[in-house]
This record gives sequence, C-alpha cells and structure tokens, in this order.
Amino acid sequence: MTEQPSSAHPSLMDRYEVSDFFDEMFLPTGEPREHYRLLHARLADMAAEAFNERRANADVSFLYQGITFTVYSQKAEGIERIFPFDLIPRIIPASEWALVERGLTQRVTALNQFLFDIYHDQRILKDKIIAPELVFNAKHFRREMMGVTVPKNIYAHVIGTDLVRDDKGNYFVLEDNLRSPSGVSYMLENRQAMKRTFNTLFHSYGVRAIEHYPQELLNTLRSVAPHDNPDPVVVLLTPGIYNSAYFEHAFLARQMGIEIVEGRDLVAHDNRVYTRTTKGLQPVDVIYRRIDDDFLDPLSFDSTSMLGCAGLFNAWRAGNVTLANAIGTGVADDKAVYAYVPDMIRYYLGEEPILQNVPTYLAINDKERDFMINNLDSLVVKSVNESGGYGMLVGPHASQKERETFRDLIVSNPRNFIAQPIVRLSRHPTYLDGQLYGCHIDLRPYILCGEKITLVPGGLTRVALRAGSLVVNSSQGGGSKDTWVLND
Amino acid sequence: MLSRVADTLYWMSRYIERAEDITRILTVNFNSLLDSRVQDSEDSWRRIIDITGDGPLFAEQFDEFNAKTVSGFLLWHPSNPNAVTACIKLARENARSVREQISSEMWEHLNRLYFLVRDIKQEIGARGPYDFFDQIRHGSQAFQGITNETMTHGEAYEFIQLGKHLERADKTVRIIDVKYSSVNNLREGPEVSLQLLAMLRSCSAFEAFRKSPNSQLHPARVTEFLLLSQEFPRAVSYCLKRALRSVNLISGDPASPRQLLSPQRALGRVCSELGYLEINELLNHNMHPYLDSLLYRLNGVGDEIGSTYFNTQLILPPQTTAKQHAQQQQ
Repeated sequence: MTEQPSSAHPSLMDRYEVSDFFDEMFLPTGEPREHYRLLHARLADMAAEAFNERRANADVSFLYQGITFTVYSQKAEGIERIFPFDLIPRIIPASEWALVERGLTQRVTALNQFLFDIYHDQRILKDKIIAPELVFNAKHFRREMMGVTVPKNIYAHVIGTDLVRDDKGNYFVLEDNLRSPSGVSYMLENRQAMKRTFNTLFHSYGVRAIEHYPQELLNTLRSVAPHDNPDPVVVLLTPGIYNSAYFEHAFLARQMGIEIVEGRDLVAHDNRVYTRTTKGLQPVDVIYRRIDDDFLDPLSFDSTSMLGCAGLFNAWRAGNVTLANAIGTGVADDKAVYAYVPDMIRYYLGEEPILQNVPTYLAINDKERDFMINNLDSLVVKSVNESGGYGMLVGPHASQKERETFRDLIVSNPRNFIAQPIVRLSRHPTYLDGQLYGCHIDLRPYILCGEKITLVPGGLTRVALRAGSLVVNSSQGGGSKDTWVLND
Repeated sequence: MLSRVADTLYWMSRYIERAEDITRILTVNFNSLLDSRVQDSEDSWRRIIDITGDGPLFAEQFDEFNAKTVSGFLLWHPSNPNAVTACIKLARENARSVREQISSEMWEHLNRLYFLVRDIKQEIGARGPYDFFDQIRHGSQAFQGITNETMTHGEAYEFIQLGKHLERADKTVRIIDVKYSSVNNLREGPEVSLQLLAMLRSCSAFEAFRKSPNSQLHPARVTEFLLLSQEFPRAVSYCLKRALRSVNLISGDPASPRQLLSPQRALGRVCSELGYLEINELLNHNMHPYLDSLLYRLNGVGDEIGSTYFNTQLILPPQTTAKQHAQQQQ
C-alpha cells in the first residue's frame, strides 16, 4: 500500500510495495514512519523524470571523480567499477542511534580487552569461557604477538561492525571487522553527493555531520604513537594501485594530510622504521596499515611477500613504531569467535550486551553441527574467515548440489564453518530500473579506538541492488546509501 | 618526498621529452630529404639513426635505411624500447602510478596522448606522417604547459623539470653532433644551408637564431647558438643551467663546497665549462670528441641523480655526527 501522490504527474512512490519485511521508511499500515515523512513527501511530490535526472547527475559526478573499486571475480585483470550509489538516504532518529552508539562502544571495549587478554594472561581461556582451540586454531591468531606490549593496550584502532535489523526492527550485530574495514571513503563521498543533490531537504532535516571522520582517525592514530610522542609521523601503508580499495587509501591519506607509502618505500634499520625520501631516511612513528598481517614483513610472516617491509615486525616489538590495527586482531574477526562476544562483554565488563548477536551455531560443537547439517535449507552457512560475501551458502536460495557440497565441507572441516538463521533483513526504498523497490540493507558504522572511543554518526549503509538478494557487498553487486542520523 | 615517487615523475618527464625530440628529428628530416638528391637519402636516413644512438639495434631488424624503415623503427617498432609509442606508454604508466602527485588535467591529457599513439600504424597510413608528428609535438608541449599551470612549483614539479631538461640537453647534443659532422664534410653550397636549417628546425630554433646577434647561417654560429645560448630554452647550456637550478631547489643551496651533493657538483662543473667555452675551440676535428664526452658526462649526471635521490643506500639519519654524515655522502 502506498499513499496517493499529491501532484498530478507520476512519482516514484506510486508503485512502491511494502511487504512483510521491516520497511525502514513505511509502517505496516503504509504510512511513512515519522522520521521519514519529510523525505516521503518530497519524493511523492517529485516526478519520476526529475528524480532520474538527479540520479544521473550524481552518477556522472562519481564517474568523473573516479570513485571506484576493482572487482576481481569477473576478469583475470580486474576492472574498475563505480560503486553504485542510491540517492534515497537511510534515516536514523537520534534515540535509535544513541542506543547503537552505546552498544558499539561497549562491544569494542570488550573486544580490545579480549585481544589484550589472549595475547597475555589468557584469563578468559583459563576461566573456560571460550574453548582454547577456538582461539589457537583461528586463522589469524598470531603466536608472535604473545607478550607484546602495544600503546594504551589497544589492538584494534579502526573497527567496522556490520549491523542488520530483523522483521521487528531490532538491531543485531552481524559481524565485526577488525582487520582492514573499508568503505569509509564511500560514506564520505555519498554525503557530498547528497548535499549537492538534495540540499534543501538535507538542511530541513538537521543531519549530524560526518566530515570530521578523517580528522578523528588522524587523532586516534596520533594518540597511539610510541613513547607518547606528541608529534608523531603517521603514514598510510597500502599494497599499491592495483589493490581493490586503493581509491580509499589514497582518499584517506589525502584527507588526513599524511603520506601514502608502499612497502618498498619503507626501510627498517636498528629496529626503527624509515621512509626512503629524496632527503634520505625519515623516521616513521605510526603506520595505518591496509595490508593483511601475512604480507607485512617477509622476515616474520609470508617470506614471499613483496608488499611489506623486512624488519617491520621487530621494530614494532621493540616499541619503536605503532601499527594500526595491530597484528593479530583477526582472531576476533573469526566468525566462530564472534559468537562469544556477548560472553566477552559479560566477562570483561560485567554488563549485559546492549546489542545482540545473530544466533550462531558453531560446527565444532557436535550438537550444533548436526543441527546445521539437517537444516541447510533454512540456514545461512558461512566460512569463518571469508569476507565480501564469498564462501557462503544461503540455504533457501541454494541448489541441492550446493547444499551437498557445503555439507561435505562442514563435516570435513568443522572449525571453518558457522551457521545462522536467515535474518529477514530490513528493506529500504531503492531506485532500480526506473522504479523504487524495497531492497535489503545493512549498516556499517566505523568505530575509532584511541585515547577515547569515537564513532561518527551513521556509517555506510549498504544495499543489495538485486531485488530479493541478501548480499550487500560491493564486490558482488551491492551499492550504498547515505546514512542520516538526525540531530534530535 | 618519497624516492620512488620522485623517480617515477623524473622518468615520466624524460620519456615525454624523448618522444617529442624523436618526433622533431623525424619531422625535420622528412622535410629536408625531399630537397636532397636521391643518392644521398640513404646516408641521411642512416644519420638519423645515429642521432638516437640505436644503430646496432636497428641493424638487427632492418637492412635498408629509408623513410619507411627508419620512421617505423623510431615511431613504433616493438624492438625499439625508445620508440615514440614505447616512450609515451611508459610515461603514462609512470603517471598512473603516481597519479596523486600530478593534477587530473595532466593525467587526462597524457592518457589521451597515449590513446592517440596506441594505434599508430593506422594513423600514419591514413593521414601521412606530418599530421602525426605535429600531434605528438603539440601533445608534449601542451603537457608542459598544463604541468606549468596546474602543479605547485615545489619539489615534485622540479623533478619533472629536471628530467625534461636533462633529456632535452642530451638529444640536442646528439643532433648537433650528427648534423655538424655531416655539414663539415660538405663543400660550400646550398646543401650546407639546408643542413643547418634542418639542425635549427629540429630544435624549433630557426626564428630565435635569426633574431640573435651575429646570425649568419654558418656552422660555427649555429652550433654556438644551440650549444651555448643561455637564453634559448632548447639550447644545451640553458637546459643544464635550468637542471642545476632544479637540483638546487630540491636540495637547497649548499652553505659550502664540501656539502655539495654529487649531482650539484657534476652539473655545476658542466655548466661552468659551457659558460666559458669559445666555439672556435671546438671547430672541425674537436667537435665530435667534445660532444661525445659531454654525452658521457650527462649520463654520469643521470647516475648521480639516481644514487642521490632515488636509490638511497642506507644513509644514517641526521642524528649521527657530522663526520659520519660527510663520509656517507661521497
């Protein structure tokens, strides 16, 4: 059901169908939710052609600026694509955001304490809250980190936590990303595009600003410099121009006013790290690294890596350089470890979790594995360490053959799989092929952990651009929306 | 700035200049060969290959020296790493990897130039060579202009200027060397003038030369202008002076001679020498050996630039004592 448009020409709202999923914009009665009323009225009043024109302009400006990412699955060499952007913003009232912010602050505090604990006394394992095998067999657990001290005991400085809503509108944490969460550049560029395209509406709403993210990130990085250096040299370490997220690396470096370097620009000497410049070697204090642990240092990790700097790890152990995020944070990225985050919150903070996990079954537990295997047609099965929507089975949408393949995989390598019930993800009106459809969305806020924990309001709303699809990642045909957290 | 970035910008600039200079040489010689006698043309075409110094490479691919073989080799042949298309392709690759350092106008322009030369064989066939040469030359000159106007004149900009001027000096010395020896072997007559005109036009220097004092179309005067003028932007002396200025802007003027970096020393020496040279000392038999040794020294300057700015050995950072620092700088 939709409202009748107030004007004579056809608007995009005319044919929009609200279904039984939680619709971000509409109540089940078909009325727009209170915080969407203004937007709804604007859209209902706008002719479809007018909207299309604005959309085309926004697309062109993204193209012109080269806001791209590289997709590897399609051709051997990878092609550059413009990250699709939908003009209709996702709006979050202030009270909802306050809850999310509290919940995420609590969560990342516990996560950093967890990381400190497992790389030191491992009390959480000794107290039998989590099975030790789960931690030691985690792909990204780094024995080299045992006993290493990091500034302010912070391991994960930048965290991207994915949130979804169920059919009752409750927020759930889908997963935490503690290694190199990306997408923040799209969040910032989307905001610019929205301000250009819908400036009056934006102004009438009173949306909280996000443009200070790069400055907050820089502050966070500076606050964890070695030896409490008040004026540290910060650099961004990138794999280079052929990396799919290079646009974001360059964008952030520019916005923060720091140098972007590759492994070959760095030299470790006497346990200190330097950049090779035209004026000789210049010392580096903090490295915001967007390279996986494995490739950082051929002396300590993958010896075939050409992307890193030999001796970097030793310089770090010696306390002469800070890496953000630290090495070894990926153990908390593991989807099986994720299942224990609520327990971590209780254990380290003595509080009940404000934000809930999606119910998760671990294949390493016999009973849960049996349940998984017998219910593949109604579960989502995930590999514990994949991202980007790869290595995943969506039970109801999969063929019998695909389910059988996964069944065999689960049985042969249970440590590697978890399953979750299908969350009936919320939907949001999104422009597809000339019309508005309800498309599934999620939300990725970015949390910065330095001297203090900082969140910019909102984050990246990702949307599945295929009607009915649940996959929102950029590499598999997803897009994004601007996220408006309201002032009141 | 990062050594890798400086290295990339420097070579981007050298490759563009190289492409332009080769095109200049071809343009002028296509033209002048129309005036010469048929028996001489093979010789003239061979001399063009001599200018680039790629004689042995050419001989591996071709038996004859004529318009087709020589222009093919210099413009697009895959065996020639210094062919115009190869140079522009490399320039573009370099630009792409340091896109953050250059303006978007510079990148777009260079990108367009790349697509222009990519399908070169067809281009030449369709429109004849002159249009094509013009496009390359204009493309390069526009790139210089765009760079000048859209880039901050800081360290990155100076590395671009350094590459351009060193490459230009090198090519101009080669043009002088080959043309002078061919002119010197001729008896007085119109042929001499034609060759001297070709020499000047290769460097876009004809009108400037005419306006300069004492401008008779005589080998000594023309060579003097192209080698020793401190004001004409394609003259060797001007280019090297400008290159020295770039190095001084990049590294700062040294407070004392002991603190000179090796590129400053090498360039300073060559500039002084050219500044006090009298062309009469070089006439006849002395020209070729001198120019040859000059080329050798310019290569040396390139090496010094590489080892000082791009391929830094493990030089200890400034906290070490001054004595150690001086030793390392050798």
